[in-house]
Amino acid sequence: MTEAQVLEQITSIVQRMLEDKGLKGASIEPGTELLGGAIAIDSLDLAMLVRELEDVVGHDPFADGFIEFRTVGELAKLYAK
Amino acid sequence: MNKPGAFSLSADDATPLVASSERVLTRGDLARASQALSAVMEDAHIARVMVRSDDPFHILRAIDAAHRVGADLFIAHTNLPDAHITAVIEKFGVQMIVGEADSLTSAATGEAPSSHIFMMTSGTTGAPKIASHSLTALMSRARAAMHPGNRNAKWLLTYQPTGFAGVQVQLTAVVGHGVIVAPQQRTPSGFLEAAKATGVTQISATPTFWRAFLMVVRPGDLALRQITLGGEAADQPTLDRIRKAFPDARVTHIYASTEAGVVFSVHDGREGFPAEWLDSETQGVSMRVRDGFLHIRTPNAMGGYVTETAQPRLDDGWLATADRVEVRGDRAYIVGRDDSTINVAGSKVYPLMVEQFLLRQTGVVEAYVYGVSNPISGQLVAADVVIEPGLDPAATRSAILAACRENLAQYQVPRAFKVVDAILVRESGKKG
Repeated sequence: MTEAQVLEQITSIVQRMLEDKGLKGASIEPGTELLGGAIAIDSLDLAMLVRELEDVVGHDPFADGFIEFRTVGELAKLYAK
Repeated sequence: MNKPGAFSLSADDATPLVASSERVLTRGDLARASQALSAVMEDAHIARVMVRSDDPFHILRAIDAAHRVGADLFIAHTNLPDAHITAVIEKFGVQMIVGEADSLTSAATGEAPSSHIFMMTSGTTGAPKIASHSLTALMSRARAAMHPGNRNAKWLLTYQPTGFAGVQVQLTAVVGHGVIVAPQQRTPSGFLEAAKATGVTQISATPTFWRAFLMVVRPGDLALRQITLGGEAADQPTLDRIRKAFPDARVTHIYASTEAGVVFSVHDGREGFPAEWLDSETQGVSMRVRDGFLHIRTPNAMGGYVTETAQPRLDDGWLATADRVEVRGDRAYIVGRDDSTINVAGSKVYPLMVEQFLLRQTGVVEAYVYGVSNPISGQLVAADVVIEPGLDPAATRSAILAACRENLAQYQVPRAFKVVDAILVRESGKKG
């Protein structure tokens, strides 16, 4: 999956999480900080996002240990191949 | 010359004992079959025998015959892998297998028998734990359940026939001159058809079984006298729905543990049990709460595990269970087991507590809560729910999630949430 495709997946998963909370969709850019407050998700939503990405992308970039990331773009890079 | 059988049956007793859609076997049939089996066992000097069958007739035949010759009996689940069974046969020197066709094994004889009954836990992974029981203790529990409403009754065997609860139901039926109804088709509709065809009067089952059963049973299908919930904590919505569906039946929920046997029964239709039972003796059992866990002391405690150390029995003779208890007002509630917790970023979540919350939400008929792992929080809470037919899944899902966010701590809220058609039920009658 390319970085752009992973970005699309992240956007769609996050939008669904926001919908589940009864919130309107947010604008999600590569530079958006995941827990920076611009999008209303908490660290456990982020944990779920990572879990779902592993399922759709098919690999786990954290298999050998945790890797730091802050933005949507950084996360997408981890999953892109 | 061997001893009388465990059940003191007479060979010419034509009272029905085991019924299915195919056949009815009588108490006399069992007496003759167990007499024949014990003769074979005596000739072959069998000290340890195993029954591996879901047919109550074979299970009771083996219990009765083993008692006649003083042999140890292993009751094995039919769904366990053969490798586990072979390991048990070799480790304990089991010389004979009883089932559709009885056969001798080539195992070497072990120690002298102690006339015990060994039952296996229904763990989902790994080798089963094996618990030892005495027939005397099992029978005395069955007799204790023998109030007048349980005599000459017809029992639907919903539990795994080879498990502790399943064996207990069979013994209770034998003691009370009742009939055991064991359908071939172990699905909610299979159970219902067998129950209707035979006129079942008592059903003992897990709350999970009851929630599925209530989706197929119709008013007037069954004239139940006794309804019992066990194996899992009974929740108020399920108790209320049962009461509404069977207004004439006595509804009992029991707290039982394999280690302690049936510990106590609650008949008032309210979830949990009276808090005043703690720190006093009720139904021959003493209970207390220490560090949030239920401790029990009972004369019916099992003999211990033979495969590994039992649950800790404390120096003062109490048994520490893994069941967490909360007291609210005049009631004590079982909120979960410590060996089934989900660890969400260091916070413990009891799946039972979240399941009971979900079951209280409008439209939810069944809920299964479990942990899913991830690299950020370790685990997360996941939930599958079954909703009432005809409801809009999307709207119901939103409403349930909103209720979760409003009433549960953020780490308890299911982050993976699915509306599903059905939830897998294990042979034990429990979810998962």
